[in-house]
Amino acid sequence: MAEFMKPLHDVFLWVSEIPSSVAIRESLYVSPWLTVSHVISMCLFAGLIVMMDLRLLGIGNMRTPFSELQRRLFPWQMLGMGLSSVTGLTLAFSDPMRFYVNIFFWTKMLVMVVAGINAMAFHFITYNSVVEWDSAATTPFGARLSGALSILLWAIVIVSGRLIPYNWFQT
Amino acid sequence: MLEGYFDAMGKLAVSQAIGASIWIYPTIQALHLVFLALLAGSILIVDLRLLGFGMTSQPVSQVAKDARPWMIIGLIGMVCTGVPQLMQNATREYFSEFFWYKMYLVAFGLIVMVTVRRKATQAAETTMFGKIVGVVSMATWAAVTINARLIGLFT
Repeated sequence: MAEFMKPLHDVFLWVSEIPSSVAIRESLYVSPWLTVSHVISMCLFAGLIVMMDLRLLGIGNMRTPFSELQRRLFPWQMLGMGLSSVTGLTLAFSDPMRFYVNIFFWTKMLVMVVAGINAMAFHFITYNSVVEWDSAATTPFGARLSGALSILLWAIVIVSGRLIPYNWFQT
Repeated sequence: MLEGYFDAMGKLAVSQAIGASIWIYPTIQALHLVFLALLAGSILIVDLRLLGFGMTSQPVSQVAKDARPWMIIGLIGMVCTGVPQLMQNATREYFSEFFWYKMYLVAFGLIVMVTVRRKATQAAETTMFGKIVGVVSMATWAAVTINARLIGLFT
């Protein structure tokens, strides 16, 4: 194992030995229900993100001004994000070493960061001109790029998450 | 009665082919979840509106009409990625109680969707009837998702 990975490895190992981590890991029902809750939360978050991104792409929900969609869906998207994060963090907390060695877990984490950067870039750059294109028939290039990237990145997050149980690339 | 039919489905050449390659089945599983996100969003945006949340500045009928094509794409995608999974695991799913609960709930959800929910989403504004429909719709599809996830976890 590369030396620079050791601190991260040790943190994961330390967490895996915390009694509550062990307890969740060894429980018959907690992990399954965490997974179920994680999927439901994903539906809320990703579903409403996609509805908004289709508007950015200019192919869906076109009769609603973008700022209206964004403003009104945002609290529900954040609720979904919050629930997904709590259930996800608890899942990772319950079995850190299983996820530490899993390439799909790390892919998912990295791509989520990139998706966050995409959202920030859109919010702080393209969104500034929203008044000009809010009710227009076509959206500017930056909006379409951001919408397309968002859908693609969150799809990769979902796919990566689903592939975590497959131990294909582990030695 | 259906056991023989499921058994035969699992033994079809195409069902065996899905299981033969190491990556086909996981890919179909993953796409099933991606379509789920699309379907969930298109259903939730309308059900939330029926409950008086979310896109309250737009008429109920408009939110529903704009979401409908995406809901249909989502449903088609779910079936196209769901049936191959069933074919590959036919006998195992036949004996899973969660599979059958899921199927009954899908049927119920679809019936609600084309009857009372269609009626409720033709109005410009939501009523008590619309709110009840919204709750029933959300609960049904959430139950579908829960049972679906439990199929794989408890067989």
